[in-house]
Amino acid sequence: MTLADALRLSAPLALLALMAPVAFAVRKRVTVAALLTLGSLTLAAVSVAIAPDDASDRVLALSLRLDPLGRLAAVSLLAVLGAIVVDVWLDQPAYNFFPIALGCGAVVLAVMLLENALATYAALLVGLLLPVGTFTFQIHSNRSVEAAIRHFAFVSLGGTIGLAALALAPTLPRDQPQTTFVLLLVVLYVAFALKLAVLPFHTHAALLAAEAPGSSLALYFGVLTPATVIAFARILEESGLLPQIVQLAKVQDLLLGMGATSAIGGALLATGAPDARRLVVYSVISSLGMALVGIGTFSGPGIVGGIAIAIVTGASATQQLLAAGALERAAGGGPPRAARAPLAAAAFVAGGIGLIGAPPVVAFPGRFFVELMAYAFATWLGAALVVATVLLLFAQLRIALALFAEGLPSWRPEARPVAGMIGLIIFAALVVGGFAPDVFLRPIAAFAEDFLRALRPL
Amino acid sequence: MALLAVVALTTLAANGAARLRSMSVALLAVSIAADVIAAGATTPGQLAVLAAAGIAAAGILFVAARDGHYGEDPAWRVWVATLIAAVATPVAWISFRSLTPEAPDIPLVGGDPGNVIVQVAAFWLLSSGTAILITARHAVRTTLGALLMLTGVQLLIRLAPGPQIELTVAVAWLEVIVALTGAFLIVNERALRE
Repeated sequence: MTLADALRLSAPLALLALMAPVAFAVRKRVTVAALLTLGSLTLAAVSVAIAPDDASDRVLALSLRLDPLGRLAAVSLLAVLGAIVVDVWLDQPAYNFFPIALGCGAVVLAVMLLENALATYAALLVGLLLPVGTFTFQIHSNRSVEAAIRHFAFVSLGGTIGLAALALAPTLPRDQPQTTFVLLLVVLYVAFALKLAVLPFHTHAALLAAEAPGSSLALYFGVLTPATVIAFARILEESGLLPQIVQLAKVQDLLLGMGATSAIGGALLATGAPDARRLVVYSVISSLGMALVGIGTFSGPGIVGGIAIAIVTGASATQQLLAAGALERAAGGGPPRAARAPLAAAAFVAGGIGLIGAPPVVAFPGRFFVELMAYAFATWLGAALVVATVLLLFAQLRIALALFAEGLPSWRPEARPVAGMIGLIIFAALVVGGFAPDVFLRPIAAFAEDFLRALRPL
Repeated sequence: MALLAVVALTTLAANGAARLRSMSVALLAVSIAADVIAAGATTPGQLAVLAAAGIAAAGILFVAARDGHYGEDPAWRVWVATLIAAVATPVAWISFRSLTPEAPDIPLVGGDPGNVIVQVAAFWLLSSGTAILITARHAVRTTLGALLMLTGVQLLIRLAPGPQIELTVAVAWLEVIVALTGAFLIVNERALRE
């Protein structure tokens, strides 16, 4: 028996959940808490990475299963989470961040492993509430409390109406009128839209972008938002609602219309973003809209592209948000300039390439698939996504040019190039993925097959 | 039917409370009434979990208040929230009921054949919570709205197929996390105001 066989699938989940209160107890000793957090995240990621294919486990009556997408997403998101923890530890110590990071890690694993739609959703909701503890800082000099309250309200509202819709779905008789299912699916979609901050439910994200620390934004938009998109696809698959959805053209139109609105609207907001952080957040909103269009096409390439966009967007957004934080700190209250932190500026610009989905990074095939399927569905839809991408390119160029407005006297890196180094490592990983896209896309394709099977059961 | 009235009145009391401690006591009353309504479709183990979650959530808010004066005056919001809930509850029940179209025979006191009371109470709590959340401006009423909605979700879960005790525990944990997050924000907001 190998070590991988001996380890129960629930072990990494239990490890992260149990280490969170331990990290809370030692949080004032930042180095100890950071090392404990990093060690636990690494152990959990390695356990998931080496677990056998289709490994399963049970926690009471809840079943856990590790599929290829679960493995890919869990390892990727835990790695991004680890990068944020390193940045917080070395660059901007915040002692309450570490237990929350461990809790979010546990939630990411739960979302990827649980097979029950309601339990997955409840776990996700816990994860989306945890970062509230990191959003508030220096409360007398900013509006971070107001931003955290608004986030709490949006997530609570979206979370509870979504839970209610999922609890109701299996109790409805099959001979219900179609309008009932349409209404139920609209409620479920709005529930996810509130949590993902897609347009028109983005106002809390806009306030957060302006007031919350960069590392907290990275935790939310880099780790939890991609997990929410994957949870959306998984919950749709597990809820048993897909056969009804496929018969209702209105629901598909809603998914595509709202996704396209968010893609275009987010990109438009990004073009007018007054600072780097808001640029990143609006770019994420636009990319998530595109991901929802991909899933909403109910086609293999569309679903693969949508989920790929979500994962890569998380990594690139983390890269840019950490770099933006480093640039702001180096600027000391003035406008962020590359001259003060050249490596962070380089990481920021490189992150933009990932968010736009330009080759050679692995973000490219995902965007290509979604745009291709959008054109196959309707010309206006494909055109809308292309316009959104062009607007994002323009927005990223605008802020990048502003960063280099005073030129770059020297390429000598800043004194503590933590965010810059992390950003460049993330970018290197995305470039490597771009040269071997099959490794990244095949696990998502396996999930897309299961999704399509649930959509049209024999 | 009488229990439904108790849930409605305790919800109104929580909605109208201007002080956090009064609100937490009313919230506990809502939770107890919801537990009694769900008792027919619930095992003793689940009831214990539900009761513990209700007490913990209300207790966390009670402690977060720090004194008997702190709170949030709902003003006109109490009427808007009540009106929205009164309109939304029958609409939601007609749209989503999982029962037969025949008019059920519901006694004033006692049993709940067909779980009509459970469903109506769940929709009332969800509608009230939604209305309170939408009209809330600060952390106190935002937390109240979220907890009322979760109490409604616990009732709906009683009727859903699946691992009941596990889902009850999961949503009970969620209630505690929501209460803790709300308390954290209430304390921060108070520090900011003072």
